[in-house]
Amino acid sequence: MHISEGVLSPAVLIGGAAIAAAGVAAGLKDIDQKEIPSMGILSAAFFVASLIHVPVGPVSVHLILNGLVGLILGWKAFPAILVGTALHALLFQFGGITTLGVNTLNMALPAVICYYLFGWGLKSGSGRSVFIFAAFASGCCAVLISSIMVGFSLYLTGEAFLPAAKLVVAAHLPVMFIEGSLTAACTLFLRKVRPELLEGVYAPK
Amino acid sequence: MRRNDHSINRAACYRSKIACLVFFAILWVAFYHAPAFAHKVTIFAWVDGDTIHTQSKFSGGKRVKGGPVAVLDSEGNELLEGKTDENGMFSFKIPQRTELKVVLKASMGHLAEWKIPAEEITGSGSESNTPETVEKASDKTSTGTGSESIKTDVEVLKPTIAGPGRKEIEEIIDASLDKKLAPIYDMLANTFDRGPGLTEIMGGIGYIIGLVGVALYFSNRRRKE
Repeated sequence: MHISEGVLSPAVLIGGAAIAAAGVAAGLKDIDQKEIPSMGILSAAFFVASLIHVPVGPVSVHLILNGLVGLILGWKAFPAILVGTALHALLFQFGGITTLGVNTLNMALPAVICYYLFGWGLKSGSGRSVFIFAAFASGCCAVLISSIMVGFSLYLTGEAFLPAAKLVVAAHLPVMFIEGSLTAACTLFLRKVRPELLEGVYAPK
Repeated sequence: MRRNDHSINRAACYRSKIACLVFFAILWVAFYHAPAFAHKVTIFAWVDGDTIHTQSKFSGGKRVKGGPVAVLDSEGNELLEGKTDENGMFSFKIPQRTELKVVLKASMGHLAEWKIPAEEITGSGSESNTPETVEKASDKTSTGTGSESIKTDVEVLKPTIAGPGRKEIEEIIDASLDKKLAPIYDMLANTFDRGPGLTEIMGGIGYIIGLVGVALYFSNRRRKE
């Protein structure tokens, strides 16, 4: 999921960084003090998740957890994921400083999209099966959209879109399944133990 | 009534689970032909005689199978191209004795490169030695103790020949050195990428906790004002 340095063209890098910066600005706008610790926790979860390799057959990819981050944080997923990807680049050499914007965008935008697509299912009034379905779908779709966006970034630099996107999507199929289950398990646990964490985002404003 | 509701709900849940599984199975079959990849690739190259060996790996330690490797000169012109084999190895004859760069371009936007400095390559080649270095080297041998052993060697072989040429000796030494060093190169290639350790992970989490602290500090100050 992390695009290396020297692969993308400057136009794609700058465009991605600009959109990511806009997303981060939107996420940081009128931030509540109560949300900062949960942002930190989810940022740490995102940071560590990429170390968990999923070896299935010849494929070895890692977890992303951006669906979970998006569901709980909404637009605030952008700054949380930016911190995570920055630390990935600095400490693990996954991706790089120049690709920071594109990598953040590729992982944070799907998180926000899933927040809008499936967030309704996590409102406190929804039934258990609806809740599970929404959480699972969010975990899956975030990874799916991320894969497609990575393929699209490569396409903008000149690679053929279909093979590139197909490859990325294929590699992340097992991850999608695992992430869906993980997201569902995590949010179910939160609903039981700390429902206010979920209600913070979904409370009517 | 309520029980009925529950069972319907449950059936729906199972059905959606099965539908999900089928969906994934179809996707899996449709797309499944991808080679291995992770989020970082590395390539490591070393010189052995007149060939260069490269080894390519993913961050998890898996070898890159069938990954395209390009060999570039210092100006970035492509000299030759190849693919890694089952063990992630790709070997080629040295195309020219200048600084070379091997670039591995794995799928999904992964890229890695390794530079081979000119000294490493010229050291193994015989024709690239400049007269100067030959002269210097011959000075050394004539003054040093090495000349004796060479002389005795020569006597055994044939007294009429002045001795095995500098070239041959160098070649023999290089060949045996390469042979002796091969396992070390292998070890280096294997230890080259260990992946992130505990230090990095804990460091990263520490950074995040620190950032949360800073953010809380500033938001607290803003509130007081």
